[in-house]
Amino acid sequence: MNVAVCVKQIPDPAAPPALDPGTKNLVRDGKLILDDSDAYGVEMALQLAEAAGGGEVTLVSMAPNGETSGLRTALAMGAAKAILVSDPALAGCDALGTAKVLAAALKRAEPDLILAATESSDGYTGTTPVQVAELMGLPSVTFAKKVSTEGGTVKVERQTEAGYDEVVSPLPAVVTVTAGVVEPRYPSFKGIMAAKSKPVETLTVADLGLDAASVGSAGARQEITNVAEAEARAAGEIVVDEGEGHLKVIEFLEQLKVI
Amino acid sequence: MFEWSEEQLMVQEAMRRFIEAEVVPNIDDLEHNGVPPFDIIRKMYATFGMDQMARDRFKKQLERKISGQEESAEERAERAGDGGAAAMTLIPIIELCRYCPGIVTSMGVSVGLAAGTIMKQGTPAQMERWGLDLLTAEKVGSWAITEPNSGSDALGGMTTTARRDGDGYILNGNKTWITNGPYADTIVLYAKLDDGSDTPIRNRQVLTFILEKGMEGLEQSKPFRKMGLNSSPTGELFLTDVRVGPEHLLGETEDERSGSGRDSAKGNFVTERAGLAAMSLGLIEQCLQLSIQYAKDRVLWGTPIGDFQLIQLKLAKMEVARLNVQNLVFRHIEMSAAGKSLSLAEASAMKLYSAQAASEVAMEAVQLMGGNGYTADYRVEQLARDAKVYQIYAGTDEIQITHIAKDLLRR
Repeated sequence: MNVAVCVKQIPDPAAPPALDPGTKNLVRDGKLILDDSDAYGVEMALQLAEAAGGGEVTLVSMAPNGETSGLRTALAMGAAKAILVSDPALAGCDALGTAKVLAAALKRAEPDLILAATESSDGYTGTTPVQVAELMGLPSVTFAKKVSTEGGTVKVERQTEAGYDEVVSPLPAVVTVTAGVVEPRYPSFKGIMAAKSKPVETLTVADLGLDAASVGSAGARQEITNVAEAEARAAGEIVVDEGEGHLKVIEFLEQLKVI
Repeated sequence: MFEWSEEQLMVQEAMRRFIEAEVVPNIDDLEHNGVPPFDIIRKMYATFGMDQMARDRFKKQLERKISGQEESAEERAERAGDGGAAAMTLIPIIELCRYCPGIVTSMGVSVGLAAGTIMKQGTPAQMERWGLDLLTAEKVGSWAITEPNSGSDALGGMTTTARRDGDGYILNGNKTWITNGPYADTIVLYAKLDDGSDTPIRNRQVLTFILEKGMEGLEQSKPFRKMGLNSSPTGELFLTDVRVGPEHLLGETEDERSGSGRDSAKGNFVTERAGLAAMSLGLIEQCLQLSIQYAKDRVLWGTPIGDFQLIQLKLAKMEVARLNVQNLVFRHIEMSAAGKSLSLAEASAMKLYSAQAASEVAMEAVQLMGGNGYTADYRVEQLARDAKVYQIYAGTDEIQITHIAKDLLRR
């Protein structure tokens, strides 16, 4: 079974983030790393391909400047190859524009199953995977906490606030996985050394047959009009327990209407 | 090379994640509660496929030993070249030494010294019986040369004897400062041949034996209480009429042309000393990083202490040491990639400088942090205690100096 995983390469969250003062977009000029939330999808894909007794895991990503550092990490984990779409025309892409690009790239991979994270760790829109599914005309199942495949179907335990739903969908389908779905493996040293020689196909907007005006800032229907500092957290209240501390805790929780 | 390659940085990143998850939460158990490091080492080997790599490498080494062929230049370059020895061996060493140099010591003695000696001078049967399990970290190895009265004079002052008995030997003596000694499954042990002649014991032939835990007459002590390096268990070995068959004599011959016990011991010096520079680099990097952060965070008289020139002097000297040691490590990697070896003088100089630099940097990190540095919570006190042994084991500073000078004067 061939599985494609949408992966995002993001600026290292450990480094201080910077916004472009003009576009108010996150600056992505430096080295990018594999979004942690995508490591779960890569691991899930590797396990599903293995359980199915064969097949390949293909990574699909969009990033500026032909950046592949994050892809190499996922290739070192065991993915077979990657498709990277990189084009100056994509600067300023909104979620839908990104979905158009990923959908076009995913079609080339012809996967049996497409996995993605529920949302990225830098943008947090959480909309791209379902947009990809819509554009490709595929069913989508979100918030998977457990995924298995059988025959032509995918069985998902879908996390809900109350517990989980059991969902069965025909393949191909788009499934978004939560952080708890599997424990991502460490890349083996051999895997790291092999990653540099694995194929990464770099494509432009024109290669995908997309109209440049429909993607990037030209095609974006979303505009960031203002960016403001998050409000500083207010100081908490310290209650000295003189035997009745537990009542204060109950009172506080009742105010919040959580009990 | 002046910086790590992309692949090497990936190895570094993966190691850092592993250490954060598996080593850091267990540091107190390893350093203070007597928990040996072997489970963590095994987990590291399994996680990064180092065990499988060791099996693959073992197969090739065994084939070469059986066919009597030398390693080809291509094979050597593949093993030692960019991303080979550097990424696979030195980066884990550097990263582990940021937190637990003892783990590296334990691993280095088991895989490097014990297994390395067996693989180099053992017969194919000995390699298969004792070498492989050490290389994959499944078993624990010790390398026993030092005795209570012969630290730096290890070979000359050795008094442990091997007396011929039928086709085997009877061993008697006492070894000390033996890394992994309390837990070792396999022990590479050096002893003087007692052939009943008048040859003074100083000048007698040194033979190398492979012993196993549980042999009759072999006693392995409990771990010592040490100043530092507590994640590496160290102990004594007592041999009372330990009878071994000829298959336990390394190389299964007393013939020195196939490699004497003295050569076997000395052959490990260069590798061990070069490895110590990498150990120093990790420790120095960590002390420097912690010191910089502390200098920024600690406020006295209303200003971060990093604004004070006496603190700046300490940081600057630490950075000089870091750069120098890093350059030595990078040079060693480049030389390995080019298939060249360090001379004994070079390896000894590298060890001497790195060990002193590590010790000095760690003590200065303690000083920079004052009372906080003296407490365990700030981590540098452990690194300072650990660093001191860098100047003592694998040849003391004083021995390095004599080795450097002798090697230079011989030219």
